[in-house]
Order: sequence, then structure tokens, then C-alpha cells
Amino acid sequence: MSETAGGGGVAVRRVPLLRHIDPAVATAFACIVVLLLIGSLYSREFLSPGYLLQQLKVASFLGVIATGMMIVILLGQIDLSVPWAVAMGGMMACAATAHGQIGVIGAIPFGLLCGVALGLLNGFGVAYLRIPSMIITLAVNAVAQGLMVVHTGGFSPQDSASAAMRFIATGEVAFGIPHSLIVWAIIGAGTVFLLNRTSYGRAVYAIGNRERAAFLSGVDTQRAVMIAFAISGGLSAFGGILLAGYASKAAQAMGDAYLLPAIAAVVLGGTSILGGRGSYIGTVAGVILITLLQSILSVMQIPESGRQVIYGAVILLMMLLYGRGRRAEG
Amino acid sequence: MEFAQPLLRMEGISKRYGGVRALEQAGLEVRGGQVHAILGENGAGKSTLIKVMAGVVAPDGGRMLLEGREVAFAEPAAAIRAGIACIFQELSLIPDLSVADNVVIDSPPRRFGMIDHRAQRRLAEEALARAGGEDIHPLAPVKDLPLSRRQMVEIAKALARKPRILILDEATSALTAADVAKIFAVLKRLRAEGLALLYISHRMQEIAEIADVCTVFRNGRNVATYEAGTKTLAEVVELMIGREYSHAFPTVAAPESDAGPPALEVRDLRWAERLRDISFSVRAGEVVGLGGLDGQGQRELLLALFGVTKGLSGEIRIDGKPTNIASPRAAKSKRIGMALIPEDRKTEGLMLPMSVRVNLSFAALDRLSRWGVVDRDAETEAIDEMVRLLAIRTDGVDVPVGSLSGGNQQKVVIAKWLMVRPRIILLNDPTRGIDIGTKQEIYALLRRLAESGAAILFYSTDYDELIGCCNRVLVLYDGAIKRTLVGAEITERALVASALNIAAGAEAGA
Repeated sequence: MSETAGGGGVAVRRVPLLRHIDPAVATAFACIVVLLLIGSLYSREFLSPGYLLQQLKVASFLGVIATGMMIVILLGQIDLSVPWAVAMGGMMACAATAHGQIGVIGAIPFGLLCGVALGLLNGFGVAYLRIPSMIITLAVNAVAQGLMVVHTGGFSPQDSASAAMRFIATGEVAFGIPHSLIVWAIIGAGTVFLLNRTSYGRAVYAIGNRERAAFLSGVDTQRAVMIAFAISGGLSAFGGILLAGYASKAAQAMGDAYLLPAIAAVVLGGTSILGGRGSYIGTVAGVILITLLQSILSVMQIPESGRQVIYGAVILLMMLLYGRGRRAEG
Repeated sequence: MEFAQPLLRMEGISKRYGGVRALEQAGLEVRGGQVHAILGENGAGKSTLIKVMAGVVAPDGGRMLLEGREVAFAEPAAAIRAGIACIFQELSLIPDLSVADNVVIDSPPRRFGMIDHRAQRRLAEEALARAGGEDIHPLAPVKDLPLSRRQMVEIAKALARKPRILILDEATSALTAADVAKIFAVLKRLRAEGLALLYISHRMQEIAEIADVCTVFRNGRNVATYEAGTKTLAEVVELMIGREYSHAFPTVAAPESDAGPPALEVRDLRWAERLRDISFSVRAGEVVGLGGLDGQGQRELLLALFGVTKGLSGEIRIDGKPTNIASPRAAKSKRIGMALIPEDRKTEGLMLPMSVRVNLSFAALDRLSRWGVVDRDAETEAIDEMVRLLAIRTDGVDVPVGSLSGGNQQKVVIAKWLMVRPRIILLNDPTRGIDIGTKQEIYALLRRLAESGAAILFYSTDYDELIGCCNRVLVLYDGAIKRTLVGAEITERALVASALNIAAGAEAGA
């Protein structure tokens, strides 16, 4: 009893003003500032509004994908089917445009639907068949890859994105604020509402903390888990739709570069990889942090291989920091 | 056989867990060539004593003398090196490894750094022979053996450590009478070899058969040591109960009327081998207790009623209507209106790192939200009411529930379920490990709830609580209701006697 009282008591006795600021989120924002400063040493351009908005535009694709990942991680699970859920979303939406006017209008919903279906498959496996999420999502990823290869015959897909897809991915509102950023903001606001104000959000945190307690409190934990994976699949696919709109067409491996950054963004933002703890603002910080990190590494002309090494190292470092804090508490 | 010096002597051993005294100035003398039985109610301190002896827990005070030399075990391995081996109720074998692998698992014989399989097999065969399991093939996987054979392997594993003191903690509770007889033959031979055997069991018949010396524990102390056969069962029960403590309980009012069907009725409920033909009913306004020794199916019964267990047979009626309770979600629905205060608040009742607010309103969110969106004003109002009603002491509702004291955490668990406004309340040992003041508040609350028309089913390991709170007590033994005690029949003597499944005659003679 006394151990837990000690762990929880620290948070209570903190200065009231700082009570709601998660140190991990503060760290992530501090890192963003540091990265910007480092970047500005390389080029003045780094602090210009144009460059920053460009970064936010790039970040919004990752942000949409990381949102779904965050909900799944809050449950204490993981979604490794991101790469081909992204590709599937983009490719299916583009494929729909080849089917006349209805296809063009239905492109975005169709891409989304494919992602949700993929997520439901993941969720069904995790929640009802009790397959570890690491296994089932990896398997579903492989299946999705196979299906897409069959669909395209192994060549890069020929269909191009619909006008609506290009509009949401590339347009600007005013002052250079990209549409994709608005899209991310809407999805983000919806997620904040979902997590903080709805009984579903409470259930997500509760399951991540103590699934048995949530179950014995009368929560349909299986359904909640399945829904989370469906959301993750849907948002991954939507990320793919945005990417396809951005590039005007889908590509075979377009999602491959998003799995690790999505997980990294969520974890860097202070969400516990073990589930049950984390805030969306942290994920926002994590997404921006990862995007800036990528940008700076490319400005510094560090090759892709070097970037991967640095990503991995940064994630390991953060996991060590947060993982320890969590264990001391429990 | 008497030796001048005991093999092991424990003096003034004390151990506290938080505010709970598990052992207080307890002592024990263990001699070679004897079977020493340890008796006592649930929570009398037997297990803690064994754990101290086996180096699993460190005592707060007192000393242990092994052949006159003072010893202290920092870890179980130290106790094993000193010649103390333990066999626990839960089997410690690894199912997928072979018998030989298991027997010498903590110190396999090595050759050039690799496990010497030939030597390992020889050691295992020797140990198995001593344990009476000559017919068990050392290379058979443990998972293919029946339970009684596994227990033999368990004994062989303990013997492979060349112990001088062998502790058997409820080691026969999973075995049938025929298997117990086999184990006893082995124990008798080990006794003849000069080993000291410590035998803990709730089965009085077994103790009568095998023990040479008995020590009774009560409230963390050894209250009596006597030679086996010098006391009657009734005297032993009297020793186990004692006559020292009494709590203030609210008066038990009779339920108002017998009219109408009972709120909860169970007919012939069965589940695997754990619940056998359980039938009973609980009326609105009634507090029905579940008694018996720990682990006789009480928990399984409560979980079964709450829709957690799958594969039940039998019938559950709510207000006289046959009802299928498929999940906790169904159980708490308005139609059924059931609540379960679970056994372990840390893993089953609460999400410790989350706030008092979230924990309190969690089960009742359906009532406090519209279209899935939580109505914060309604939530705050309901929470404030509960914090007041149960006098939960907390530094605001936004602090983590883990920062509250144990008693207040338990109040949060209860309050969380009262917010659902249940008509049937199941409680699984709700006062374990909390202070006496909070206990009394909980008793008073149960009474008030019953008076306002709730049907309450209440499992407790504390006999006093059952006596003080319940209209009726169902005593379970081996998954079946052995006896129902009503009103004035609910005495400690009757509870203990029926819990131990002793014939009514022994109890009447006391």
C-alpha cells in the first residue's frame, strides 16, 4: 500500500500549476525547440514561416497515422499493419477513381473503408481470438501486401488520385496554411474529445491500465479493443489517401516509411508503450519532433541508413526513460 | 523419539504486512523423526511462519536457531542450503520439461559447463525412489503425468535438495484419498529416516492419521502444542477459535417479508469440478454469507453469478425469472442490477494510476453519459455524493486512487458500484487487509443497503464478520454447500466445524 501511495503521491504534491503538465510532453516540446535551434545554425531558412508550415504539412500525414497508433498503444497493444494499411488506403482510393463518376466521389470513403476492414480484422484477432497484437497485425500486414501486389500485378499502380484527394492533401486555406494541417487538426480535436470526454475514451485508458478491472466493471473490453484497431486501420488508410493525393498517385511501398515514425512519435510524446497513460498533445509534439528530426537529418545530408540508426537509438533511449518511470510506479 | 536439542527452533518471530500483524512473537520447535502438524484458521499466521522458515519473507523480529546456531535466510536458496525444503500447494513444476529436468532444476549436475544428462537422470531416479515414485520414468514430460504422480515428483524435487526439514503446505489438498495414502506411506518412511516433517493441512482426518505433534496457531501466535491424540476435535476447534476478539457489529434485522420471489435464486449451479450443485436464494433485504475455508469455491461462485465464468450449468433466477448472465456488462445492466466488489482491489477493483474521479464513475458511465459522451456535471455531482456518503478521505477527486490508504481505496471500490444502484450486491472478502475503523463503516453500510432493499451475498474469510453481519451463512466445502446456518445457529464453533467438514457430533460435544 505504502509503495503505491508514494508513487501516486508525487504527482499530488507537485506544484498545482505544473500538475497537469506531463514531464514527457514538456521534454518533447523542449526537444523541438532544440532541434529548431540546431537547424537554424545550418540555415536561416529553418525558422521562416514558409519552412515551418512545410514541416507541419509533412507532419500532418504522420500525425493522422500516429493518431490511430496512439489509441492502440493506449490499450497496451500495437498495430504493425500500418505500412500496408497506408498503401492499401492510397491504392484503393486511387483504384476507385477508375470506375466513373461514382468511383471518383467514392474514392476517399472506399479507401477508408478498406482500412477499417483491415483494422477490424486485426481487432477481431486480438480481442476475440486472443492472438497477440504483434503477431496478428504483422500477419495482416503481409496479407494486405499480398492483396495489393495481386491488385497491381506487381507494377506500380497506374490510377491517379481524385481531385478531392489532391485538394485535401495539397491545397492551402490562407497564409500558406495547408489543407492537410486542417484535416489533422480536425482529426486531432475529434481524438481529444473521444479520449477525454466519452465513455469509450475512459474505457481505452482503463483497459490499458488494468484490463481485468475494466472487464469486471462491466466494460465490453473486446468490443472496445476491436474498435480501436478499426480506428487505427481507418486512420492509416486515410494517411495513405492523403499521401496519394499529395503525390497524385499511390505507390507500392508508400507506407513503409511510416511504421517506425508513428510508434516513435507516440512514445516520444509520453504515451506509455505498456498502455494506459498518455495525452494527445504529447503525440502532436512527438509527430512534430520526428518530422523535424527527419528534416534536419536530411539537411545535414545524413543518408537514409544513418537516419534509421538515429531513429532507433532515440526510441530506445526514450523507452528506457519512460519504461523505468512506469515500473517504479506500479 | 525425543532429542535434547530441537533441529530448528524459532523464537519470538514477528511479521507485519502494512497494518496487519501476520505473526506476533510466534515460536516453534521442530525435531527430527517427527511429523509436526500446524493447525489454525485462515490468516492465523501459518503460511507466514512457513515463509519465514523457507527464507521467502524476512521477519521483522525474533530469531531462528538451526541446531543451536542462529541463522537468518536472506533468500529461499539460503534456506535450501541449510537443509529446509518446501512443497507448496501450487505445484512448482514446469510442465514442458521432463521429470528429471524438474527434479534437479535448481542445481543440475554439470560437466564441462554443460548439463550432465546421465548424472541428472541418476540423481532423479534416486530421488524418485525415495519419494515412492520408482515407476515414474525420469524422461517423461511432467505434463503427461496425473496430479498424484506430479505431487510425487514435487516431493522428489524437494528430496533431491537433501533436506533435513521438509515442509508440506497443503500439499495434499488437490489429491484424492487413495493418492494421499500413497503420499503418507512415503512420509512415514522419511520420518523413519530421521527427517523433520512439517505438515500443514485443513483436513483434520489426515492430521489425526499422520501427525506426532500438533501446534495450533491463532492470530499470529502459537497458542498450544500437544502430542497428537491427546485432544479431541472439539478441543482443537476451541483452540483454533480462541475467545479474545469481538467487533462492534450493527444489529441484524430480519428481512421484511417472504412475499414474492427472491431477488436472486440459484438452482443446481455447476462449473467444472469447482462448483457442485449449488442451490440457494437471497431475498431483498437479506445478507447471506458465504463461509468455509479459503478456496472452497466461494470466489468461483461469485464470479459465476457475475457472468465471468463460461460453461456453467444450472439456472440463475432474478426476481423469479430465469436469466442468462453472459458477462459483467449484462450483470450490471438495469434488468439484473448486480454488482461485484472484487477480491483484489489493486488488480480487479481499481485502475490505481487513474484518478479517484475516473475510478468512481467508471462502472456507472452508462448512466452518466448521453450518446457516449460523459456529462461532467452529472458525474461531479454523483461523485461528490458518494465521497460524502462513504466519507472517503481523499485530497480531491483528481488525485490517483493509488495515493489513498487501503481502507479508502476499498471505499472507492464499493462506492463505484453503489453508483450503479445495484439491487444485488456480491462481495468477495471486502474487508481483507483494511483497518478496523473502515471495516466497521463497511458493516454499517451493508446493513443500510440491506435495509433499503438490496440483496447481499457476502464472502468473508473472517468468521466474526459472518456472525456479525449475516442473516444466513452458506458454508462451502469442496465446491458444494455443506451446511446452511441461520440466525442464532451462526456461531464460530458451528462455522469452523462445518468449514472443516467435521461431523455435527464433534461440535455438539464441545
